[in-house]
Amino acid sequence: MKEKITGILSDVKAKISGAASESELQNVKSAFIGKQGALSLLMKELPNLVPELRPEMGTLLNQAKNQVKELIDEKRMELKLKASEVLPDFDCSVPGIMPAPGGLHPITQMCYDLNDTFRSMGFEIFQEDDITSEMYAFDKLNFPQNHPARESMDTYWLEGHDSGSTNEKLCLRPHLTGGSVRYMQTHKPPYRFVYPGRVYRNETTDAHHERAFFQYEALIVDKDITFTSGKVMIKSILSKVFGTDVAVRMRSGFFPFVEPGFEIDMECQVCGGKGCSVCKHVGWIEVMPGGSPHPNVLRAAGLDPDEYTGFYVNIGLDRLVMMRYGVDDVRLFHSADLRFLKQFR
Amino acid sequence: MKLSLSWIGDYVSIPENMDLKKLAYDLTMSTVEVEDVEYLARRFDNMVVGVIEKVEAHPNADKLRVCKVDIGGGEIKDIVCGGINLREGMRVAVSCPGAVVRWHGEGEPVVIKNSKLRGVESFGMICASDEIGLGDLFPASQEAEILDLSAFAVPAGTSLAEALDMDDVILEIDNKSMTNRPDLWGHYGIAREIAALYDLPLAEISPYEPEVQSDFKVEITDPDRCTRYIGVEMSGVEVKPAPYQMQNRIWKVGMRPINALVDITNYVMLATGNPTHAFDADHITDHIVVRPALRGERLRLLNEKELELCEDDLVITDSEGPVALAGVMGGAKDSILPHTERVILEVANFESTGIRRTALRYDNRTEASSRYEKAIDPERCGQAVALSMQYFHKIYPELKVTGFCDRYVKKPERAEIDVNLTWLAKRLGKDLSNDVIRKKLELLGFDVEIDNDNMHVTAPSWRSTGDISMKDDVMEEVARMYGYDHFEATEFTTAFTGAINQKDQDLLRNIKEYLAFRCGMQEVYTYPWMSDVYVKAVLQNTENVLKLATPPAPDLSYIRSSLLPNLCEAVVKNERYFTGFSIFEEAQVFFDRNYSALYDETESLPEQRKHIGGAFASSEKNITELFRETKGVLEYMPRFTHMESFVFKKETKPVWADDVVWLNICLGDEIIGEMGLLAKKVSMECGIKNLSVMLFELDATRLKPLKSRTNKFTHLAEYPETDYDISLLFQSDARWTDIHDAVMGKKKAGSLVKDAVFVDEYRGKQIPAGKKSVTIRLTIGSDEKTLTSQEIENAANQVVKKLGKLMGAELRMQ
Repeated sequence: MKEKITGILSDVKAKISGAASESELQNVKSAFIGKQGALSLLMKELPNLVPELRPEMGTLLNQAKNQVKELIDEKRMELKLKASEVLPDFDCSVPGIMPAPGGLHPITQMCYDLNDTFRSMGFEIFQEDDITSEMYAFDKLNFPQNHPARESMDTYWLEGHDSGSTNEKLCLRPHLTGGSVRYMQTHKPPYRFVYPGRVYRNETTDAHHERAFFQYEALIVDKDITFTSGKVMIKSILSKVFGTDVAVRMRSGFFPFVEPGFEIDMECQVCGGKGCSVCKHVGWIEVMPGGSPHPNVLRAAGLDPDEYTGFYVNIGLDRLVMMRYGVDDVRLFHSADLRFLKQFR
Repeated sequence: MKLSLSWIGDYVSIPENMDLKKLAYDLTMSTVEVEDVEYLARRFDNMVVGVIEKVEAHPNADKLRVCKVDIGGGEIKDIVCGGINLREGMRVAVSCPGAVVRWHGEGEPVVIKNSKLRGVESFGMICASDEIGLGDLFPASQEAEILDLSAFAVPAGTSLAEALDMDDVILEIDNKSMTNRPDLWGHYGIAREIAALYDLPLAEISPYEPEVQSDFKVEITDPDRCTRYIGVEMSGVEVKPAPYQMQNRIWKVGMRPINALVDITNYVMLATGNPTHAFDADHITDHIVVRPALRGERLRLLNEKELELCEDDLVITDSEGPVALAGVMGGAKDSILPHTERVILEVANFESTGIRRTALRYDNRTEASSRYEKAIDPERCGQAVALSMQYFHKIYPELKVTGFCDRYVKKPERAEIDVNLTWLAKRLGKDLSNDVIRKKLELLGFDVEIDNDNMHVTAPSWRSTGDISMKDDVMEEVARMYGYDHFEATEFTTAFTGAINQKDQDLLRNIKEYLAFRCGMQEVYTYPWMSDVYVKAVLQNTENVLKLATPPAPDLSYIRSSLLPNLCEAVVKNERYFTGFSIFEEAQVFFDRNYSALYDETESLPEQRKHIGGAFASSEKNITELFRETKGVLEYMPRFTHMESFVFKKETKPVWADDVVWLNICLGDEIIGEMGLLAKKVSMECGIKNLSVMLFELDATRLKPLKSRTNKFTHLAEYPETDYDISLLFQSDARWTDIHDAVMGKKKAGSLVKDAVFVDEYRGKQIPAGKKSVTIRLTIGSDEKTLTSQEIENAANQVVKKLGKLMGAELRMQ
C-alpha cells in the first residue's frame, strides 16, 4: 500500500503541475481525492489490512490527501493570478479616449513658442493697447505727414476721433512699432523685449490679405550693436519655428522707421531653395522686415541716436503659421471655425 | 514696374557674359526687389513668320480656307484658317506644333498640335494678334482679322521673336521696394544703379540746345509747387504711328502704344522717370500759367472725368482757364486729336505731396502722378526734354521749334552730410578702408571729402529730394554697396540684471492653458468689430461702445466692449457642424469713457482692457450640468492658475442672461465678471437653433496673480477617516451654500465631521412636491483614535439632527 500511495502522489504531482486551467485542476481533484478518487478508494481498502498496519497507513493516506489538497490550492492560486482579467477576445485596437480635447489657437501656440525662445535669451514680453493715437502710430515712427498709410483707406480711424491734430486722432493700431516707442519711453536702456499683438489694416480681404492679423516685434537697443547682430535674432526665431537651421538673407528694404532697413528672406522650405511655385521660383521667401530703429524713432523715445542704436524685426505670425502648416487662407485664423482650429494641438 | 534689358542697354552696356540671375540677385540684395526675370522670346517659341503662297477654299466649310504657307527651309505647309484678311503673298505669324496660344485671345493657354479641321489636315495655326498676346501692340480692327506682318521684310521661316524684336529680357521690379527711390523710376535710373554696382560706364543724355529763343512765355505763380517748367512749342508734327522700335519698347514694359506724339511722351517718362505731356498748341490760347486752381473752377480730363477743383489743386492754364491737372492728367480740351499739327511739350517738376493729394482727391492716380508723388529732382527735366527732342526730330524731320522756355524757379541744393568715420565703423561692425568707402559712394554719384575722422559727402541731385538726408542714410549706402552678404553675424552680449519676472504675462498664459488643456476648451479668435445683430441681441445698448469711422462693412461699425457678441456668433457658425463644444477667447475690449494719457500728456486714449470670455454650448438640455461645468471652470481657475480667489455673488443680472441662471464674479467687493445662461430671447435673436449656451466673461486686467505658488500643507490624518453619504429632503429652494454652512459652520473643537461635499440633488418621483433630495458626503474622523462604526453613525446622525433643526430637513426614507 505504501508504494501505491507514493505512486499515486508522484502521479498527482505531475498532473497538478501540468494543469493549465481551473477545470483541469477540478478533474485532477475528483480523480484523486473525490469520492471515487484514487486516494479515497485506497482509504476504503484500509479495513482489509492487518490491524497493526492500519493506523500507519491511515495516517499516510490522510497526509497524502492533505498534501494533494494543498498542492491543488496552490496551483489554483497560481492559475488565478496568471489569468487575464478579461476574455481573450478583448480588442486592444480600439482607440483611446482623448484627455481634454481643447487647444490653443495656432497663432497663440506660435506666439508662445517665440516667447519661450526670447525669454531664454533675456527678453521681456511687452503688451500694449490696440487703440492708439496717430502720433504714436505714425509721427513718432518717422512717417511723413502725407504718408498713404495714414489715410482712412489704410487705417481704421475711430468715429468722433478721426480729425484734428495727430494726438487727437485715434485708430486701431496699424502696426506694433508705435507701442515699442511707448516701451522705450517708460523704460531705461538697454532694451531687449518682444511685443506680440494684433494689428489692423483697412483693406480688401482675400486668401492672403486680412484686416486683422498678428505681428511679433522684437527689439534690442544698446550702445554697441550693429545691424549684423540682427542675424542672430532672426536665425533664433526661424530655427525655433521650423525646427532646423534655416538659411536667411538680409537685403535692402525701405520702411520709414528704420535706417538701414531690410527685407529678411528665408530659404524656401518647400523646395529647399531650388525654386518652386511657392517661392515664385526664386528659392527665397520674404518673412519679415527689420533694421536699425531710425534716429528719429530713437529721438521720439527720448534716446540719443548718436549713443544708442539697435535692431528690430517684425514678424507676421499669420504668415509664419501658414508656412509652418501649409494653411492657404489667412482668413481662417479669425473664422472661429472649430473644424479648422481643432487641427492644431 | 517692368524694365526691358535691351532698353537699359541703351545707357549702360551690360557685359555679354553677365549672368542675368546674378544681376537680378544683386539688384535684389542691394537696391530693389526683382520679382521676376522673363525671357520674352520664350512666349514666341515655335512661332515663325510664314508667307502665304496660296489661299484655297475648304472642301467642307464656307468660312474656312486652306492656305499653302511657306514656313522656311523649303517647307510648304497646309494650314486651315478662318481669317477674313488672308491673301496670297501675305506675311503671317505661324504657330507651329508646340507653340502656346490662346484661342481668340481668351481662356487658358493651349499647346498647338497637328490636327484635322473639318476633314483637312492642318499644320499649326495662322494667328490673330490677340491669340499670341500681341493685341495691344497690333490691335485688330475687326473680328477674325489675321495679324498682317507684311511690313516686316524678313524671309519666311524667321523666328517670330527675332522678326518682332522680342529677343529681350523683362525685369519686373516690386514697386513697394522703390517708393523711397524716385531716381529709379525709369530705365535710365536703373541703368545708373547697375553702372554703380558693377563699376560700368554710364551713357550721358546730351543736353538739349534750343535753336530758337522766342518770346514763348510760361508763368509760374507758386514756385514751391512747380519748381521748373520747360515748354517747347513745335510745328510740323502729325498724328501717325510711332516707329516700331518705340512701340515695341512701350508695349514690352506694359503700356499701350497710341500714336507717335503720345508715345514719345510715354517713352521719355519710361526712360527717364520724368513725366512729360504734349498739348495741342492750337487749343492753347495765349500763354501758359501754372497756378493753384480757384475754388469751384471746372476741368474736364482726358478720361472725360469732370472735376470741380479746389485751391489745393495745381493746374496748367491758358487765358481761358485750366487745360490740365498738373502732374496728374491732361484736360480734354487741349488733347492730341487726329488733326493736331502743332504741339507744346511740357517737361515739368511738381512738388510731390500736392500731386498726391490731388490724385487721391479725385481718385485719379496715373503713371505721371505716381512718379511725381515720389519727389523727382528737377534736374531730370533737362534729361527728359533732351531725349524728347531727339525723338521729335527723328520722327518728324520737318519739325520746327517755334518757341522754347525753361522756367527753373527753384533750383534745389544737393544734400551735404558729415559722417564720423569711427561712428561708421562701429555701426557697420566692420572696419572698411577709407578707399573702399570713398569708392562705393563715388560710384553712386556722391562727392566725398575725407579729413581725418570726418567724411563730408555731397549727395547727387537725384538722391537729394529727401532720400539721403542724414549720416545713417550714408551708412546704408556703404553697407548695401559693400554687400549685406559680406557682413558676418555678430553676437550680442547679455547684461544679466536678474531673472525676468512677469507675473501678469504668466497669469494670462496660465489661464489660457488651463482653459485649453485642463478644461478642454478651444481657443478662438474673432475680429474686434461686432455685427449689429449681435450687438443688439447681446449687448442691447451701445452706451460707451466705440465705433469705426470707416468700418469694414456698414453693419460692422461697433468695436467690442465685450467678447460675448462675437462668441455668440462663433457659436452660431459652429452649430452647423457640432452638437456640443466649448470655446474661449482672450482679447482687448474698448470703452468710450475714462480717457487718459499714460505716455504723452497730450494724448487721450479710451479705456481698454483685456477680457477672457467663454461659451459652453450643448444640445443636451441639461442646464444643471452645463451650469456646473461652467461654474467649475471658473471656480477652479484661481486654484490652478495661481491667482487670488474670486467669489460668486448675485448682484447685477447681465442683460443677456436668463432670469435665474446667472452669477457675478467678484474679487472682494468689485464685480470683475459674470457668468450665466444665454436667455431664450437673446439666443433666438442671435440665430442659435438648438443649443443651450452658458457664457462667461472676466476682466483679466483685474485678476491678481499670486507672488508665488501658495499651496498649503496639512499633516496627513493619523487615524482613518470615513466617507459617509446622507440623503435628506430639503425645501426645494434651499441653497447648497446654506446647507454647507449649516453642517460645517460654528463647529465645535474636536468635531468629528471634517468635511461636507455636494454629491447631487434630485427632484421628481418619490420626492414630495416643494421638496428636493440632496445627497451630502460627510468625511468623518477623529484626531485621537480610530472611530467605531457606531461613533461614525452617531456623528452622521448629529448632522442630520442639526440640518433638521436649522433647515427643516428630514432624512429621506429609502
